[in-house]
Amino acid sequence: MKRIGVFVCHCGTNIANTVDCAKVAETAKDFPGVVFACDYKYMCAEPGQVMIQEAIREHNLDGYVVAACSPRMHEPTFRKCAERAGMNPYMVEQVNIREQCSWVHADKTKGTDKSIDITRMGVAKVAQNEPLFSTTIPVTKRALVIGAGIAGIQAAIDIADAGYPVTLLDREHSMGGKMAQVDKTFPTLDCSACILTPKMVEAAQHPNIEIVTYAEVQAVDGFVGNFDVTIRKKARYVDVDKCTGCGLCSEKCPKKVASEFEMNLGTRKAIYVPFPQAVPNKPVIDAKNCRFLVEGKCGVCKKVCPTGAVDFEQKDELIVERFGSIVVATGFEQFDISKYEEYGAGRIPDVITGLHLERLMNASGPTMGKIKRPSDGKVPEKIVFIKCVGSRDEAKGRSYCSRACCMYVAKHATLIKEKIPTSKSYIFYMDVRTAGKNYEEFYTRAQNEYDAQYVRGRVSKIFQVGDKLIVRGEDSLLGRPVEIEADLVVLAAGMDPQQDAKDLARTLGISYDQHGWFTEAHPKLRPVETHTAGIFLAGACQGPKDIPDSVAQASAAAVKAAGLLSKKELTAEAQTARCDEAYCSGCGLCVSICPYKAIELKRISERVHGGTRERQVSSVNQGLCQGCGACSVACPSSAMNLKGFSNDQILAEVDALCQR
Amino acid sequence: MREINAKLTQEMGDLARDLLASGEVKGVFGWTKGSRWYLTPPVFITKPEEADQLCYDEFAVNNLTGLLLDFRDSQDKIAIFVKGCDSRGIVRLVQDNQLKRENVLVIGVPCPGMGDKGAVTDHRQAQELPLLAKCLECRYPNPVLADRTIGGVTVTTEPSAAPSGATAEAAKGRGVGSKQADRFAQVEAIEKMSPDERSAFWQAQNEKCIRCYACRNICPACNCRECIFDSDKKNWVNKAATPTDNAFFGITRAMHVAGRCVECGECERVCPMDIPIMAMNRKLIGDLNELFGPYDAGVKPEEKPPLGAFKLDDPEEFM
Repeated sequence: MKRIGVFVCHCGTNIANTVDCAKVAETAKDFPGVVFACDYKYMCAEPGQVMIQEAIREHNLDGYVVAACSPRMHEPTFRKCAERAGMNPYMVEQVNIREQCSWVHADKTKGTDKSIDITRMGVAKVAQNEPLFSTTIPVTKRALVIGAGIAGIQAAIDIADAGYPVTLLDREHSMGGKMAQVDKTFPTLDCSACILTPKMVEAAQHPNIEIVTYAEVQAVDGFVGNFDVTIRKKARYVDVDKCTGCGLCSEKCPKKVASEFEMNLGTRKAIYVPFPQAVPNKPVIDAKNCRFLVEGKCGVCKKVCPTGAVDFEQKDELIVERFGSIVVATGFEQFDISKYEEYGAGRIPDVITGLHLERLMNASGPTMGKIKRPSDGKVPEKIVFIKCVGSRDEAKGRSYCSRACCMYVAKHATLIKEKIPTSKSYIFYMDVRTAGKNYEEFYTRAQNEYDAQYVRGRVSKIFQVGDKLIVRGEDSLLGRPVEIEADLVVLAAGMDPQQDAKDLARTLGISYDQHGWFTEAHPKLRPVETHTAGIFLAGACQGPKDIPDSVAQASAAAVKAAGLLSKKELTAEAQTARCDEAYCSGCGLCVSICPYKAIELKRISERVHGGTRERQVSSVNQGLCQGCGACSVACPSSAMNLKGFSNDQILAEVDALCQR
Repeated sequence: MREINAKLTQEMGDLARDLLASGEVKGVFGWTKGSRWYLTPPVFITKPEEADQLCYDEFAVNNLTGLLLDFRDSQDKIAIFVKGCDSRGIVRLVQDNQLKRENVLVIGVPCPGMGDKGAVTDHRQAQELPLLAKCLECRYPNPVLADRTIGGVTVTTEPSAAPSGATAEAAKGRGVGSKQADRFAQVEAIEKMSPDERSAFWQAQNEKCIRCYACRNICPACNCRECIFDSDKKNWVNKAATPTDNAFFGITRAMHVAGRCVECGECERVCPMDIPIMAMNRKLIGDLNELFGPYDAGVKPEEKPPLGAFKLDDPEEFM
């Protein structure tokens, strides 16, 4: 019989208010195998842990149960506590009398009874526990950063500076992401390009960083420390090694199409670099619009290229590389404003989004920085901004705040006033949220010094009369309808997750919320980690973020990634699946059901009636197994068991509950 | 009918003799005429001269596929005769990696529908017998896979295809598959009961069970190396045939074959206590179809059973 200890935690008043902790401890003394039981105000605090360690020595405990909060919170704490006292950390069970008892029961008797029950189950389980030992796995000292926007660039530079090789991957032709499209940045109003492009160059020239653009992650196998990532390098039709970036090809290309980078406000050629500061500054052929690739005629670029870099034969290329950790920095998409039919979005040319305005204001944009209406090129005098378009709107399925819009609208109003001194901006808002360093001051300045008029209320309708846009809305502070005759309407479109974010999440095996933002492991304590070990989040892929926040999070993710890479070896999960070969009939159900591809069939030979016979059994890769237990559920003959949660252990718990 | 059976028996014997004589297979599973006119039990022959023992008639109801488990780790090639329902058992065993497909020579036979010996009134006097209920409900009267066929039967994985081959006319005449639509009638009737009635119903069934394990032994989906009901690990279930333990046995057996039951109906047929075992199996089949979409176990070897595959659109969100 094992010698078991029981430690009941009050969690201050969290538990003690609705659970009689002393009674739980007193009752536990009579459970089979229990030789010591006590209660204490904070078991997780140092005195509590010391108390546990002393009890282990004094009563020669083989295992113990902590009745406290959720194991999610403190199981590692109590495991480590056992380890320090020389006990195998897996001889510890934590039962949750906080979330499962005190927080859900108003009645103290009921809460106490349930606490006693689940403590009894915990004791029964510990009696069945066996010491478990972790194995170690080697670490591939390389990181992959997916997405080369400002977050990805920052994360890559930080990891590279820590001394580890980084591959920075982007599916666009150039690094830069959304920030490259932005004109100036709040609250300091330094030009976006002036702070971004040097970073792009720094990353590109960093000896530890390899830039892979125009490429996507196709598959991810393996596990923390050893991810095998299949990268699809899309065909550029230009040999980047031969290309010198002279630009002759783009100049001569006869095909003009709307430029995505310029938000369709300008044009580009079929062979092009998206913007002048692009890194790498090598062109790509847009296969859909290239006359040669579509019709087989033209080929001008190939003829004029002085280095023979144009290669129409190029095909997509698949490469598989191994990385120790992955930072996901895939960013966001601007909300598709065509969902707001009442704002005429997509139909009325002079109703544009914030990102359109950024391009119109940008010195290297389609208008060379002159703000002109898309419809007739006139300089607008009256500009109406509408905030929260695609944010905080349950009706459009966007309950969240996009965080950056309040500030970028204040910035737009400021800049417009500077560029067109006679202009007037009206800003329809629901709330103004300026929670950032120097943000409130910036917003106040836009109002006081740049004459931005804030109108609290929602716009109900926009329509065209002549060359004016009639904006009808409500001023909810005055409590009456307002109508403004505007030249230009700018919708502060919120942030959406990338459309294919869910696909990437599945490829990586990370989770996402109902909107498609990637979910962090813990909102407060593990904000840059995912539930998949070795995969970290940076920037707006996790939720709407402005540039300072993205950069801060990117550096945090980089530290986590570099910290992981700095380890010699990683400790693998000890609570993994184990196959009892005697029972295994080799049906392979566990193989197909394993989400981590951790199970394979292997051949074993055994002696039967004096002869040798070969048969198949399952074999678990301890490095890949995450201990999810899907295999042990699928196994028809219970040959597959989860260490730490074996059938016998769970049955012991059920028995304990039934036999009270 | 007798003529057709004699012809099929002849064809069976000739084929088995050739296979054994040429050494193509080490043994043949088939049926032989039993001690009474309504009995055609299984037989395993290994010599060409034993081929005369083979017999096929409307009492060759035994699903032989479970017997192949004796050869699961063997390198010997074995031939087996299968009717439509039996053939799904082969697919099942191949899917479960219990058989190497190349080690089994599957011979499809046409099925006239099997007689219900429960209707026998005179043990000495042969008489016309009605079809077994499972044959009336049959949706796969033709083999779903076969390496060879006899009696001109066609191989098809189409559900509800008409019976083919030499016995096709007879099968149609006797109504094989005519009650397909009523497959779930008993399940629905039980589901309509109140919880108390239902509990009483199953309690009565569980009291009857003598835990002879005939249902398990004949089942081609029951292929664990060691059954937990044989295990000496007493903590799961008592070996004694008490109603509680019987209930545990019944439910466990049904859950074990969930998504893998080929609806051959043999468990219910061999039950000496007339427990409606197929009602339990059909309940699970119905539930699985509802949860995971239509699926017939043991039809397509490449298809994974719904409970044995990991899918991204799994109804369980946490997956």
